[in-house]
Amino acid sequence: MSVFTLTADDREWALVPRLAELTERHRHACPPYGRILAAIGSHGPYERVADLPWLPVRMFKTHELRSVPKEEVFRVLTSSGTTGQRPSRVHLDRHAAAAQPRMLAATLREVLGERRLPMLIVDTRSVVRAATLSARGAGVLGMMNLGRDHTFVLDDGGEVDAAAVQAFLARHGGRPFLIFGFTYMVWLHLRELGLDLSRGVLIHSGGWKKLAERAVDAAEFRGRLASECGLTRIHDFYGMVEQIGTIFLEGPEGDGLYCPDFADVVIRDPETWEEAPPGVPGLIEVVSTLPTSYPGHVLLTEDLGVIHGVDDGIWPGKRFSVLGRLPRAEARGCSDTMGAPTGGASDAIMGDSWGGSMVARTPPQAPPQTPPQAPPQASPQASPQANGRDAAADRPMPPTSPRTSERGDATDGTAAA
Amino acid sequence: MTGDADPTPARAPEEGSDGVRYRSEQGAGSRSRFDGGAGARSLSEGAVDVRFPFEGAVGVWELLDDMAAAPRLVVGDERMRAFLEDVGRRLRAPEVARRHPELASLGFFLRRSELERAAGLPRGDEPRQTGAAGAGEFLRVPRGLVFHVAPANVDTVFVYSWALSALMGNRNVVRLSARAGGAAEAILDIMRQALDDADPVVARTQRIVSYEHHRAAPRKSHAEPFSKQLERPTAADQALDHRQTDSTNHASVDHSQSDHDRHDSGKQPRTGSVSHPQPVASTAPGPGNAAGPTAVLSAACDLRVIWGGDRTVNEIRRHPLAPHALDLAFPDRSSFAVIRARAWLEATPATREAVADGFAVDAYWFDQAACSSPGTVFWVGSPTECHVARDGFAACLAEAVARRGWTVDTAMAVEKRVAAYGLAADGVADAVEFRGNVLAQVILTTPGVAPRRWLGTGTFAHARLSSLDELADVVRRKDQTLTHFGFAREELAGLARALGGRGLDRIVPIGKALGFHRVWDGVDLPAEFSRLVTIQ
Repeated sequence: MSVFTLTADDREWALVPRLAELTERHRHACPPYGRILAAIGSHGPYERVADLPWLPVRMFKTHELRSVPKEEVFRVLTSSGTTGQRPSRVHLDRHAAAAQPRMLAATLREVLGERRLPMLIVDTRSVVRAATLSARGAGVLGMMNLGRDHTFVLDDGGEVDAAAVQAFLARHGGRPFLIFGFTYMVWLHLRELGLDLSRGVLIHSGGWKKLAERAVDAAEFRGRLASECGLTRIHDFYGMVEQIGTIFLEGPEGDGLYCPDFADVVIRDPETWEEAPPGVPGLIEVVSTLPTSYPGHVLLTEDLGVIHGVDDGIWPGKRFSVLGRLPRAEARGCSDTMGAPTGGASDAIMGDSWGGSMVARTPPQAPPQTPPQAPPQASPQASPQANGRDAAADRPMPPTSPRTSERGDATDGTAAA
Repeated sequence: MTGDADPTPARAPEEGSDGVRYRSEQGAGSRSRFDGGAGARSLSEGAVDVRFPFEGAVGVWELLDDMAAAPRLVVGDERMRAFLEDVGRRLRAPEVARRHPELASLGFFLRRSELERAAGLPRGDEPRQTGAAGAGEFLRVPRGLVFHVAPANVDTVFVYSWALSALMGNRNVVRLSARAGGAAEAILDIMRQALDDADPVVARTQRIVSYEHHRAAPRKSHAEPFSKQLERPTAADQALDHRQTDSTNHASVDHSQSDHDRHDSGKQPRTGSVSHPQPVASTAPGPGNAAGPTAVLSAACDLRVIWGGDRTVNEIRRHPLAPHALDLAFPDRSSFAVIRARAWLEATPATREAVADGFAVDAYWFDQAACSSPGTVFWVGSPTECHVARDGFAACLAEAVARRGWTVDTAMAVEKRVAAYGLAADGVADAVEFRGNVLAQVILTTPGVAPRRWLGTGTFAHARLSSLDELADVVRRKDQTLTHFGFAREELAGLARALGGRGLDRIVPIGKALGFHRVWDGVDLPAEFSRLVTIQ
C-alpha cells in the first residue's frame, strides 16, 4: 500500500489529531519536554499542524529527551557530531524501533516495488564492518535490509571494483536492481564504471555540499548519470536520525522531495516563525507520527528549505527542496564562547577521506547565498537543490535500520551489534 | 628611521625601507645575543607573521633579538606617548569611526589626557622626576618584555592592553589572532601609518604578530615532559634535522598536548601578579622538539598577559615562564545587571529610554559575549513591582535595539531558542518569552540558578530579589561586572563590602559595562606593567 496518497488537506486532517495526541503523550511522559511546553505556554487544542509546538532539533544534543522509562529503551541512536559537539541521542523503545524500518521500507516501496531487489552499494564493504559503526556505515547497513545479493562497488582499498560490478550486472542487469550510495560517492564512482545501469533504481542521500563545490547541481547530476550510465530512475532523500524511519523522497522527475503520508513539512519564516507560503524560503520543520518514544514528532531543523508546490506533482502533498544549512551562530566577545578558540576556524571532518564530510556535521562558514530563483516547473530537470551548499551535506545519513542490539549497548551510529 | 643609534648587524634593510622593514631570512647562526640561556636554536621554532611595525614573516628568535637590541623606553616615555596620541587622533577620524564605530572609544582612550590619567603620570615632559614614575624612595620602571595574548573575537582589546604596557615603557609582543576581524586590520593600518611620524624607537620596541596554532598529528608522540618541549636542537641536530623541523617540529607546540599528556610537566604558574612561577627545569638533554612561538615568547618575557577564555588561559599556561616572570590572566567572566523595580517604575520616560539604550549597548555591542555584558537582570522589589517593571523594561529594550537598527540573524535566533528551551527543560526557568528574534526573556525559578554561560545574543535571564543584600548570596568569583540602576553608592559599596572579594570587580551604571579602564578585573594594569625600584 502506497504511503504517498494524502493531499495536503487530507494529510492535515489525518496528522493533526495524531500529532496532538503525541504532544500530550510526550508532555506527560517526558518531563523536560513538559517543562518546555509549560515555559513557552503551549497548550491545546491544536488545530493545524503549524500550530503544534516545535522543538529545535539540537535539543537532542543538549538534553536527554525520552518518553519511555529507561528500562524500556531498546536502542539509543546517536548521530555523528561535529568536533566538540555532543551527538544527538534518540531513544527508541521496542515499538518505535520496529516501526521505523517498516515505514522506511513502505516509503521506498513506492519506487522500488514490492520485491526485494538485488543491490549495488556505492561504498566499500569495510564501512559496515568497522568496529565502531560510522553514521555512514549505519546508513548503508540500514539500507541493505531493502536489497539482496549485496555487491559493493568499491573494494576495501576504496578503488572501484569493476569486475564485481560486471559480475553483478551479468546476474541482475536485465531486471530492476537497487543502487544505493551517498550522493557524492555516487557522482565520484558510478560514472567511471562506464557500464549500462539503465535498469537500476538509484537511491541516494547525504547532501550536495561537496558537489556544489564542484559546481554540480541536481540537474547536472541526473543528466550526467542518465547520459553516461543510462541511469534515469534517481531518487534523492532527506531525513535525520532525530526522526528515524521518516524520509522525504525525491519524485521520479526530480521536482522536489515529497512527504510520506505519516509526515509533513512546514517552512517557517525565520523572523515571524509563522508558516511561509510556497516559494518563500525558510527554516524546515519536519513532523512525523513515528517518534512515539521521544518527543521528536515536531522538529525545527537548522536546514533552510522552500516549498515548490502543493498537490501539483506526481504524488500528492507538498514538494520541497533543502537549500542549505544555517551557519552556526557566532558571537563576538572576549571569551572562548564559540567553537575552539584557538584551533582554527574549521572543524575537522570525520576520519574517512572521502565520505567523512558527508556524515560529519560541519557547520558551514557562511550563510547560503541565494534561494533558488526559478520555480522547478520551469524545467523538469531543474534542480531545487542547485544552489549553494546543501543542508543535507552536513547531515548524517539517517541510519535506517540499525543492526539490532540488546538494550543499552548501542552507542555509535545506530547500534553496535 | 634615523636616530636609531643601535643598529643590529644581523639584519639588513630592505630597499625602499622606512627603517623598520627587515629581511627575515637572516641566518640564525649570526645571532647569539639572546639565546634564552638554553643553547643553540632551531631555525624552525616557528616563524611569526609580523603585522606591526611592518608586515612579513620573521623567525621568533630573530624577532626577540631585534627587540633586545632596541633602545630602552622609560615609564611614560614621551616618544611613545606621542605615537599613541597620534594613533588615537587617527582612530577618531570621521571616516574611521563611520566604518568601525567601536574604534571611536579606543580613539578616545588614546588621547593624551586619558593616557596620562590611565598611566597615573604627571602632565608634562619630565615623567621621571616626580609622580608615579619616581617619587620619594621608589622609582617606577618598566617590566621589560611583555607578551600579550589577545582574544580572538574582540578586536580592540589588544590595543588597550598593548597601549598601557607600551606607555609604561615596555617592549611588547602582542599575539593577535589570525582570525581577528576588520576592525583589528583597520587599527593595524593606522598604527603603521602613524609610524611615519613616530620616533624609530616605537618600531624597534613593539611587535604585533599572528601565528597559527600548530596541532600535533599524533598526540602521543609528544607526550614527553613539558620541559623537553623547550629544548632546542643543537647546531648538529639542526644540520641533520633541518629539513624535518619545519614539517614535524612545529607540530609539537601550542595546543598539541592534552592536559593528560602534560601531566608530568611541573607546576604551572599561579595566577596573579604576586605569584612566582616555578622555574623551567630544562637542563635535560634530548632530541628536542622545537618549541613554537608561544613557548619561546613565554620563556622570554618578563610578564605574560593572557586575554581570552578559560581554555585559552589554560592552553597558554602550559608554556612555562622564566622564573622571575609573571602571568596576568583575564579568563572567562560573567556579568549581570541589578535594577530597583520601583526606581524603574518611577523613572521618567526619557530616563527609561536612556537606561534601556545603555543596557542595549552593554549587551548587544559584542553579541552579549563580552565578559562584562549582562546575562541576568536581577530585579529588587516586591513580586508585583518586579513583574510590571520587567515587562516595561523588555518593551523599552526591544525599542532601543530597534532604534539602533540591530537585528539577530536566523542562526542566532535558533541558538537562543535552544538555550532558552534548555533552561526550561532543566527546570531552572518558569517561563520563556520572545519579543521577535532580538529579545528572549527567561524567567528563572530562583536567583541562585542564574546562568553564567553565553545563551545567544539578546537572551536575558530574570530573577527577583527582595533586597540588594540578597545578591551577595548569588555572586561567585567568576562574576565581573554588576551594572545597576536605582541604587545609591552607599548601598553598592555595602554590597561590595559584604562580598569581601568573593566576586565582582566592577559596579558601574547601566550603559557603562563595556567601558575600558586602567583597572580591569580588579587589576591596576599600569601598576602591573611596571616595577618599583627602591632608592634610599
